[in-house]
Amino acid sequence: MEKKISLAARTGSMLKVDMRRMLRSRLFYIIIACALFIPVVMIVMLTMMDGTVSVNPQTGEESVMEGPDSIWQSIGTLPVAFEGSEAENASADAADGMAAMGAGMDVMAMCNINMMFMGVAVFICLFISEDFRSGYAKNLFTVRAKKGDYVISKTITGFICGAVMLIMYFVGSMLAGAISGLPFDLVGDMSALSVVMCMISKILLMLVFIPIFVCISVAAKQKAWLALCGSLGAGMLLFMMVGMITPLNATPVHVLLTAAGGAMFSFGLGAISKVILKKTSLV
Amino acid sequence: MNAVEIKNLSKNFGAKQAVCGLQMTVPQGAIYGFIGENGSGKSTTEKMICGLIPTNGGSIKLYGKDYTDAGIRSELGVLIESPGCFPGLTVFDNMMLQAANLSIKNAEEEVIRVLKLVRMEGAAGNKYKNCSLGMKQRVGIAMALLGDPTLLVLDEPLNGLDADGMRIMREVFLDMIKDGKRSIIVSSHLLGELQKVATHYGIIRHGKMIVEMTAEQLDASCRTYVALQSKDKNRTRMLLGCKYSRVEEDEAGYIRVYDMTTPEEIVTYLYENGICVSEIKTDKIGLEEYYIDLMKEGR
Repeated sequence: MEKKISLAARTGSMLKVDMRRMLRSRLFYIIIACALFIPVVMIVMLTMMDGTVSVNPQTGEESVMEGPDSIWQSIGTLPVAFEGSEAENASADAADGMAAMGAGMDVMAMCNINMMFMGVAVFICLFISEDFRSGYAKNLFTVRAKKGDYVISKTITGFICGAVMLIMYFVGSMLAGAISGLPFDLVGDMSALSVVMCMISKILLMLVFIPIFVCISVAAKQKAWLALCGSLGAGMLLFMMVGMITPLNATPVHVLLTAAGGAMFSFGLGAISKVILKKTSLV
Repeated sequence: MNAVEIKNLSKNFGAKQAVCGLQMTVPQGAIYGFIGENGSGKSTTEKMICGLIPTNGGSIKLYGKDYTDAGIRSELGVLIESPGCFPGLTVFDNMMLQAANLSIKNAEEEVIRVLKLVRMEGAAGNKYKNCSLGMKQRVGIAMALLGDPTLLVLDEPLNGLDADGMRIMREVFLDMIKDGKRSIIVSSHLLGELQKVATHYGIIRHGKMIVEMTAEQLDASCRTYVALQSKDKNRTRMLLGCKYSRVEEDEAGYIRVYDMTTPEEIVTYLYENGICVSEIKTDKIGLEEYYIDLMKEGR
């Protein structure tokens, strides 16, 4: 009567279900479409508005709207060039003509690919809360005694969604660059490889954010609003570090760092999520 | 071996004790009618059996193993409160998801098999949200039957089913336990329907099991009565009330005498007092009346 099922088989079958669900959910395609079109719309509009002068009617002060100088501003930043620091020397070339790629708080510094770390929170919170709201979690946990399987499966599903979102945003940015005629020049210590490293480290950094969102979502259960508020709040606390940890001139060290961070957060918060599921009601 | 063996099970929700030292035994091959008032702890107990809510004490063994055992849990089929389907997906897709959860090989065939069992094969392509209450209930039962579970836990499975649906469910339940290996726990307030299939009963009150019995024991415990009809009901009741201790009129208009007596004795007594009996029969109270009596005694 007793069936022994291995962790890989259990997680595999649960992942299969989650992937099937994800690929059949409208939410996934909406989020992917947003990831693709946001950079296109944003970059094209900002480029069109480049050089627009606006006048403050009270002070008469004129301000010039600055558009992006390089398409890479949509993907990431170069390390901050503090006066007299080594970083300044290292990125001196980059800073030339790409001032906005530093830590300047302009539109592109905030509204870039890093927004996807917040976007994936929306997906995870709604995806997990739907499990509990529909009663599907009840079916699942009745036949699946191991709560860890659920956490692993949701983390992997969220990771895949996050990775697809990042890739889509990258593709969207490249399309936008081609449409708006922004330069694709690799400046400073940037190279094609460093851009790839930057993207890989961003994808791996998803593994830091996703366990947080999964943990909050399993604690909030069917209350999607609570999961969303908690996840976006927690995400905001870590949001500023994304640019620093995954710069455009990323090296294998950045990849290793994000991988280690991802593993640490996934195991640590995964264990906490498992305890939450074990100790609380699942209906 | 017993299918379910519960000892001293407790569950608190804050200060409220939902289940208190519950003892329950479901033999293998039984259809266990789990009965109780609203809020008596039936659903809470079932949820604990299924591992959906943590217990505060006691033990639950399923086929001799702890209820948290992954192997035994994969042998459960459950319908508690709602079928647990995604409204935007079709019935078939929802079933396929659960089949994947259960790692069922030939999932499509199995889904079609259980949908046929509950006569829902024609609605497999319907979106779940467009199904009627009865259809949803059938889907829930079909989902619970996926993978041929060894233990089926059903909370109010007959709610919303039409007469044909109830008949089908009876057939399915009886067919399931035919080999004597599988067991079913059914909680329902439709006691008449439950009595048609249940082989064992457990009656719970305020989180405590007040009685567990087999269908045969229930039958033996159910009092017999003599039911009769006459033209002058008021006088008949008055006369019978003078001689017998418990005389009641039922919903069908029969006057029932619950004391140990015979129809002949009653007919003779009434005839001597000028009452002509038009109809008389001996019968037994059903589960419903037994349960109501039991609840009254406890109050």
